[in-house]
Amino acid sequence: MVEPLVAIRGLSVSFDGLPALRGVDLTVGRGEAVALVGESGCGKSVTWLAALGLLPAKARVSGSVTLEGTELIGAPPAVLDRVRGGRIAMIFQDPASSLNPVHRIGRQIAEALRLHRGLDGRAAREEARRLLDQVGMPDARRRLDAFPHELSGGQNQRVMIAMALAGRPEMLVADEPTTALDVTIQAQILELLAEIRRDTGMALVLVSHDLGVVAETCERVCVMYAGRIVEETAADKLFTGPAHPYAQGLLAALPPMTGPRRPLAAIPGGVPEPWAMPRGCAFAPRCPRRAEACEAAPPPLAEVAPAHRAACLYPGAAAVVSPVPAMVPA
Amino acid sequence: MSALLKAEGLVRRYEMRRGWFGRPVEVRALDGVSLTLEHGRTLGLVGESGCGKSTTGRLVLGLETPDEGRVTFEEQPLPAPGTAEWRRLRSRMQMVYQDPLGAMDRRLSIGAQVAEPWKIHGRQTSPEQVAALLRSVGLRPDHAAHYPHELSGGQRQRAVLARALATDPALLVCDEPISALDVSIQAQVMNLLSEIQAERGVALLFISHDLRAVRQMSHRVAVMYLGRIVEEGEPDAVLHDPAHPYARALVSAIPHPQRRGRRIVLQGDPPNPAARPAGCAFHPRCPVASARCAAEIPVLKPRADGRLVACHVAHGEIPAGSGLPAPTLAKAA
Ligand SMILES: Nc1ncnc2c1ncn2[C@@H]1O[C@H](COP(=O)(O)OP(=O)(O)OP(=O)(O)O)[C@@H](O)[C@H]1O
Ligand SMILES: Nc1ncnc2c1ncn2[C@@H]1O[C@H](COP(=O)(O)OP(=O)(O)OP(=O)(O)O)[C@@H](O)[C@H]1O
Ligand code: SF4
Ligand code: SF4
Ligand SMILES: [Mg+2]
Ligand SMILES: [Mg+2]
Repeated sequence: MVEPLVAIRGLSVSFDGLPALRGVDLTVGRGEAVALVGESGCGKSVTWLAALGLLPAKARVSGSVTLEGTELIGAPPAVLDRVRGGRIAMIFQDPASSLNPVHRIGRQIAEALRLHRGLDGRAAREEARRLLDQVGMPDARRRLDAFPHELSGGQNQRVMIAMALAGRPEMLVADEPTTALDVTIQAQILELLAEIRRDTGMALVLVSHDLGVVAETCERVCVMYAGRIVEETAADKLFTGPAHPYAQGLLAALPPMTGPRRPLAAIPGGVPEPWAMPRGCAFAPRCPRRAEACEAAPPPLAEVAPAHRAACLYPGAAAVVSPVPAMVPA
Repeated sequence: MSALLKAEGLVRRYEMRRGWFGRPVEVRALDGVSLTLEHGRTLGLVGESGCGKSTTGRLVLGLETPDEGRVTFEEQPLPAPGTAEWRRLRSRMQMVYQDPLGAMDRRLSIGAQVAEPWKIHGRQTSPEQVAALLRSVGLRPDHAAHYPHELSGGQRQRAVLARALATDPALLVCDEPISALDVSIQAQVMNLLSEIQAERGVALLFISHDLRAVRQMSHRVAVMYLGRIVEEGEPDAVLHDPAHPYARALVSAIPHPQRRGRRIVLQGDPPNPAARPAGCAFHPRCPVASARCAAEIPVLKPRADGRLVACHVAHGEIPAGSGLPAPTLAKAA
């Protein structure tokens, strides 16, 4: 097998003794588009913040994250500085916190160019304009002098993407890049990311809770639940034959766009709190296939078919649009 | 059947100041919105951020008065906000907001919160009544003793619903009731709203940007653009075969597991209500606009099939054009 660009192995993170990640395994190949989906709080953002050394000091991190063989966990700041924004760029979930409100956007992009490519003055400004053009900013030359508050949400998101592209990264981690945007603008941004990938061969990690967005943008999907990856497979495969009951439940609960309208097959209950994590499978309290063995220990992520892994003792190919799941004998 | 709620020609203007010394500019949040809602039915309201969905919700509840137009509830005009008559009417119409935690008082127990409307309206309550109310939204009676932060997101939204239902309202305005919830919880809350509607015959104004959710919940759907309704009809008619070019772009943007491509990607930004384009407000972004679109406002009127649409092309009055050149940018202030 070719060496992946990024390999995450057994990544665990806890805050104040409470586990947020409980052993994440994940690889991203060169040029690949991988999605990370799951409920709020399941650890999607923390996975990448930990990988890039961006968590606060109180976070306890263990496990390994390698970038073409170079270990990033515990790496000296100089190494991480070169990686961040250079080889791996990240667009954060909260765009407002990442653009400086008091600086013109041209200056902010130029700063990223100075940092990662050593460009200065005219060259930086010219390259900043080219980047803004590339991300589809109308009237880019004039917009270099705009402040973030003078731009719309979608335009600010483009600025963020332009800044992320400034270092010509090999991989872009986009954390919910379209959640705050209107659907029509979301469509523009997703189109843009696809285009950039076609042009530059950049790998993309898309963090999202929107299964539809993921399906259209990524080749492979990782589903997270309560700090673990519970299913990993090709995007097409996930939507036609999910194996993990949580992934099956998510798809079945999606309101259909056609056909008769009837009650949705909702997953009962809610996500367990970090301080009340079940000893065995974290999904057990909500799972229609739960059996005694599920409550003994967390099931490992295991192959259920070629290039298709699930963390479930009883993985199954349930129909995607299943009726309300039948209860399993206690 | 008589309409429960009728809004006619609602106009709402806000003044917005740019900076401390800037001249106030007028924002036309609503520019002539009419809608009708029958007992026990759901009208879904969709459209881009800032198009006036929440403003419509506030006006039909009488939380704000329209600058033009009028709202009638059970065939009576809405009384002025704050009057005793309005307060009495308000117990018949309730609002459910997006953020359940923000809608609750963190220091009050769930039991005290859901009983609050009864207290406001001077009614006695018993623990049995509170328990029954909690059960009706799928919570347990012992949840009454809990505080909001001790409940999950879905449970909180259930508690908010319980409170809204305490006074047995005839109308619920649900403003993005599921968008703050986890994906696996959204279906629970949608099912609950449908059950409540079937049991109590309550009418819903369901505001959401999630077109799947709107299809699931609504008997009719209205698509808004920049303060106006541009298309209205049966959910499957509007969502499967939208007639208005904006509705088409919106529907084509629904992310879909099996679809790749075929999406209409609109050029340009969402519009600014403080600088409403002349003629059809959608014309700067419309892929089929032609000269008449920039000059004449299309009226919302029924097509032969009964669908309400506001578009010159959709009504066959002019042939589809190829879009209008983007206006040059106004110099930044
Ligand atoms: N700085 C922090 N201090 C303490 N706990 C944290 C911190 N950052 C994250 N957590 C916790 O770690 C868990 C995982 O958080 P994370 O932000 O990765 O979730 P997420 O999957 O990105 O969710 P969302 O979809 O809401 O963005 C959560 O329980 C969160 O509360
Ligand atoms: N109190 C106010 N003062 C000034 N402008 C306002 C006020 N309330 C609303 N607006 C403006 O009126 C327009 C319509 O706002 P509204 O909140 O109704 O939109 P919306 O469709 O609910 O949007 P969203 O989907 O973002 O919730 C917006 O441009 C908004 O900025
Ligand atoms: S391991 Fe057991 S409880 Fe967990 S998802 Fe699989 S069947 Fe359900
Ligand atoms: S065709 Fe003309 S009237 Fe119809 S939506 Fe486009 S711009 Fe408006
Ligand atoms: Mg996150
Ligand atoms: Mg709103």
